[in-house]
Amino acid sequence: MKTIVFILVSLIFSLTLSQAQVRWKKKKVERPVDLLLFHSTQVVNLPTTEVLNKGEFQFEISHRFLPPIDAKKTLLGLDGPAYMRLALGYVPVKNVAVTFGRSNNQDNYDLRIKYKFLQWANATVPLTAAVRAGAAWNTEVTDRETSDPKNFQYYGQLVLNTLLFKKLGIGLVPSYLYNSHIYCDKTQYSFTMGSYVQFYISPMWSLLVEANNTISGWRNQYDSYTFGIELETGGHFFKIFLTNAAALNPSQFLAGADLKNQWRLGFNITRVLTF
Amino acid sequence: MHYKIYLLLFAVLLGGTFSEECHVTAEKTNLVKFISDAPIEEFEGVTDQIDGYLYWEGDRLTEKSDLYFEVDLNTLDTGIGLRNRHMRENYLETEKYPLASFKGKIIKSEKAGENTFKVMVQGTMSIHGVDRLMSAEGIIQKNGDIYRIQSHFDVKLSHYNIEIPSIMFYKIDETMRLVLDFHVKKIEEKTEANNR
Repeated sequence: MKTIVFILVSLIFSLTLSQAQVRWKKKKVERPVDLLLFHSTQVVNLPTTEVLNKGEFQFEISHRFLPPIDAKKTLLGLDGPAYMRLALGYVPVKNVAVTFGRSNNQDNYDLRIKYKFLQWANATVPLTAAVRAGAAWNTEVTDRETSDPKNFQYYGQLVLNTLLFKKLGIGLVPSYLYNSHIYCDKTQYSFTMGSYVQFYISPMWSLLVEANNTISGWRNQYDSYTFGIELETGGHFFKIFLTNAAALNPSQFLAGADLKNQWRLGFNITRVLTF
Repeated sequence: MHYKIYLLLFAVLLGGTFSEECHVTAEKTNLVKFISDAPIEEFEGVTDQIDGYLYWEGDRLTEKSDLYFEVDLNTLDTGIGLRNRHMRENYLETEKYPLASFKGKIIKSEKAGENTFKVMVQGTMSIHGVDRLMSAEGIIQKNGDIYRIQSHFDVKLSHYNIEIPSIMFYKIDETMRLVLDFHVKKIEEKTEANNR
């Protein structure tokens, strides 16, 4: 009897212990997450803090149709003429983007660099900050040599972004532009406060409003205002908008707008490229 | 004398139920890849961030087999940052569903060469908050304490409630091919004595 009991106890004990007892445990890995508040690297004319991934290129083509939408016989201004800009950006190191662009407005060449230097991952009010600096060369200036120092402009911008409720992006862009009026004998400057909001309706569609107000220094006739829509499709952004500013390159845009209470159509298209 | 026989019997009973447990190694050579082979554009998403275990008892992989593998979807890289973001935010919704996982067991195993086994696994695949039963074939190659696991199978996005917007320049195929090639390493052998 003792033998049977012993064997039974041994069997039960053995079977119990042979049940799977997996020792693997889930690992808690905390990865630094890049804050991506805005989707695009710029709203319309003003930059966001976003920078593409290291090694990526961004091609941009932009138009501003000069006739306002209420101009006669121009089909909402689409018959032109138009200012246009082509640009190519590259991210050589993480969080640093270099962009070279050209606008046919005074054949303005623009080289700029943006550095995203701050990310504050607050759940309610996340914050990112970047600085952008650039130099522009106006190569087609009436009655002046191309290489004249007065044809060069320089600017610096601080970019602050937040995203509320994961839907409403807000940005402030205080900017300083040196030599804002290239035709003026005495060198002019402009200090402006750029601002924008972008409301993300869906993963693909958003509404945007952008303003650039001159705080001090020289200003073209009016402050700049823009409003429109953005369509995001994978690596493309399409922005279609109404604006009172014709300038495209930053040194020209920061100097102010030319229309009052009138609007012209414009668009920006960007495409991310990798090779 | 009888007690010696009992002890021997006890030892035999215990010794016959050893188990093996292997954990995914933290190697950069691990590969989880999904391939979208849409007509216009093919692209791949790649990560090495897979974790989990493979467990069995006895000599056969199928005996009390238990396996679990999970992939951190936030680490999938398609080669374009913006596309990664779209994939995470718009399709996989990784904030809500950060992991894709498979839990199941090996239901069939046959020797396919020296230290190589062709296996069939069956279990539950969890992606995007949806659980689906599935089975897949794979190859397990033993090399010392390391086992290399390879498998590939197709996943239909609609089965996991992953919707693709109609306007997309990055065309995404409804059927994704998943390719797995990773390593698990045997941890300290577990016996009944260890269990105690």
